[in-house]
Amino acid sequence: MSIQNAPSETSVFVAEGMTKTFPGVTALEDVRLSLSKGSIHALLGENGAGKSTLIKAITGVHRLDSGRMMLNGQLFEPTDTRDAISRGIGVVHQERNLIPRFSIGENIFLESLNAHPLRRIDYNKLFRDARVWLEMLGVDADPAMPVHRLSVAKTQLVEIAKALSLNSRILLLDEPTAALTPHETDTLFKILRQLRDDGVSLMFVSHKLEEVQEICDRVTVLRDGKNACESQPLEGLDRQAIVRLMIGRNEQIPDWSARDRSTGKTVLQLKNVSTSLGHKEIDLSVHKGEIVGLYGLVGAGRSELAKSILGKFQVTGGEVLVNGNRAQIHSVADAVRKYRIGYVSEDRKSEGLVLMHSVLENVGMPIWRRLAGLAHFLTNGKIRKHTEPYIRKLEVRTPSLDQHVGNLSGGNQQKVSVAKWLAAEVEILIIDEPSVGIDIKTKAYLHELIRELSDNGTALLLITSDMPEMITLADHIVVMNDYRIMGEIDNTRDYDTMSERIMTLIQGEELVAAE
Amino acid sequence: MSRRFWETDWFGPLMVVVVAVAVVSILNPSFLSPFNIQVLLLAIAVNAMIAFSQMIIIAIGQMNLSVGAIGGLSAIAFAGMLEVWGIPWPIAAILALALGVLAGVANGVLVALTGISAFVITLASLSVYKGVNLGITEAQPFYKIPDVVKGLGNDTFLHPLPWLIIPCVLAALLLWYLLNRLPLGRSILAVGGNEHAAELSGISVRRVVIVAHAISGLLAASAGIMLVGRLQLGQPTIGDDWLILSFAAPVIGGAILSGGHVSVAGTLLGVAIVAIFTQVLVLFNIDPFLVQVVLGVLILWAVGVNRFREVRALKHSAQVAS
Repeated sequence: MSIQNAPSETSVFVAEGMTKTFPGVTALEDVRLSLSKGSIHALLGENGAGKSTLIKAITGVHRLDSGRMMLNGQLFEPTDTRDAISRGIGVVHQERNLIPRFSIGENIFLESLNAHPLRRIDYNKLFRDARVWLEMLGVDADPAMPVHRLSVAKTQLVEIAKALSLNSRILLLDEPTAALTPHETDTLFKILRQLRDDGVSLMFVSHKLEEVQEICDRVTVLRDGKNACESQPLEGLDRQAIVRLMIGRNEQIPDWSARDRSTGKTVLQLKNVSTSLGHKEIDLSVHKGEIVGLYGLVGAGRSELAKSILGKFQVTGGEVLVNGNRAQIHSVADAVRKYRIGYVSEDRKSEGLVLMHSVLENVGMPIWRRLAGLAHFLTNGKIRKHTEPYIRKLEVRTPSLDQHVGNLSGGNQQKVSVAKWLAAEVEILIIDEPSVGIDIKTKAYLHELIRELSDNGTALLLITSDMPEMITLADHIVVMNDYRIMGEIDNTRDYDTMSERIMTLIQGEELVAAE
Repeated sequence: MSRRFWETDWFGPLMVVVVAVAVVSILNPSFLSPFNIQVLLLAIAVNAMIAFSQMIIIAIGQMNLSVGAIGGLSAIAFAGMLEVWGIPWPIAAILALALGVLAGVANGVLVALTGISAFVITLASLSVYKGVNLGITEAQPFYKIPDVVKGLGNDTFLHPLPWLIIPCVLAALLLWYLLNRLPLGRSILAVGGNEHAAELSGISVRRVVIVAHAISGLLAASAGIMLVGRLQLGQPTIGDDWLILSFAAPVIGGAILSGGHVSVAGTLLGVAIVAIFTQVLVLFNIDPFLVQVVLGVLILWAVGVNRFREVRALKHSAQVAS
């Protein structure tokens, strides 16, 4: 692989020999990178490849062990985040970083407010200024509204407005489009291009390679904390070439044919269900060995429906049937124990895992009662025996099963939260956004696993906003919007026609709403 | 910000105060006598300072178990300086306040630098400050308090408004201004609301934590000094019974214990509710031990109301998001 290194006079930011180790892990090793003026630079790599560490080094969260960074020709050693911000570095972090009860306007200008701790805040001016940014991003919201009342997508846009408002000369965006609809993504890209033309250097991290190819002009790929390529022009690199750089081999796209599993026994059935959260007239059935996909945009009410099935929220009308019998699910414990329903949460950090507990404890949690049996005697060896095959199968990268889950990388955490339910051998498994923040290699394993589970007879309800994933995996696709079901389609696994039909179902509603 | 008034934190407590005052004054008209109002305001003035000293720590999502110990230490320092050294009372007051700030800063620095939870740090410092208090006083009160101080602690400047209400109102206004209008106060709430986000926004979390604890120490010391005037002696036991009240009033006023949200007006009304209920029990000759029970019930009621509103807001936002 040709490694190009051409820091010219247009290079605004140059980093060399960046090395950072954490106890037991070398996160970055001799990494190089240069950002030129007026360009959009893609930073790619699998989970745990070191992207987040790299960003945190540039933004002053982490200090490098060795190596140096140059900003506008001067040595750049940020002491903390404030220092980095004042030197013109803006960032949209992957994690949500807003103060929930603060207004949109105040969240956007939090950095600049902090510069004068004892100067009175002029809220009228603040909201006026905030409105400018909101309009630019096409967000229709009152700047005085607290952000915890906003939808996920709008919160994401507020974060972007926050970063833009700093007028940074270097802007780092860590998966900014994860929660955005295609339309919102287009608006964002328009603004990013405009910023680029104004001479801002942008760095864009995304797992969606289509987006990277659409908007970026240069690319740096990290693999295992090292450069797989450095600041290379994106022109001439096709998807396969990028993937090869990221994972060190070709991407394997499973060639799975369409199948019809709807003739099997109906395991989970919803009849005209409504919930306390506002779902209406939900009809849905999942058969033995079938993967039913629940597609919709963020905020369509899919996760909320899943949680209602699990008994976390109240089902106020209609019937939930498990194996043909009316199910009385009053709590999640009921769902797991009586009806063997499992749920892989989309939010692994706050819902899926106990971060301060070990891998073994996390994976074993749902089966403690079952393994303990009548004698109520539970040994780690017993748990290990039942869970280790799944942990191995998913290739969870951990020094040992006693490692705290919080110390693992995001992708490995996701593997643990999936392994947990695999080990529980549930009859019905609801998987919510299985590949959020997951790299290509892990995603492929996960897909094979999900498929295998269905072959073994598990009924699966798959919630994902990732269209290719939906079309790869689902046998039958149910489209949701606005807490209702818009329609259902059997999956032919032909990407173009399927995606078009799905979008028509969603947009049909949007058109009606627009009138 | 553009919330309807009945959705604010202070509306519920205000209704309770209004209804309680109305009912009690019908049953017993002497409740609204100037003397009774004066007594009520005296209690509210001191208790509000205690509640505020805890409120500012709740705002950053922590707890300060040592408010009583700081208040007690400042109180006996104030009284001791008056009796033993014969210092003019305003200077003694300023020194005692400084001691309170110092004790608060010590808490803040330990929490910020070690990363150990404030609960544990202040549990330890509670013991330290109380121990110093008992070491100095040998558990004996200081009696020689100047008449001016005694007067300020009990008399009115405008019947029936006692002098002590002045520092209380001042503190309330300043705190409201700090938490709603100044970036420093907003930083305090931001740290409580999402510490991680605040840090990434360039807020120095350590500095904010230390400042909040310093303010807490200052307010606790004020309460201690005010009590010396009110009780007319430097009791070493000042502060021993502050803890429950210090949490109860902010919580009744809508504060969220995990941080990021407190209400100055709500806390003040919370203090008023507790004071009124206490008074009522006295007026109607009910066993004063019931005060504790009533206080407990009030806390549960307040937490219940907050929880109900939270759940409703959650459902609301789920629907808005769709």
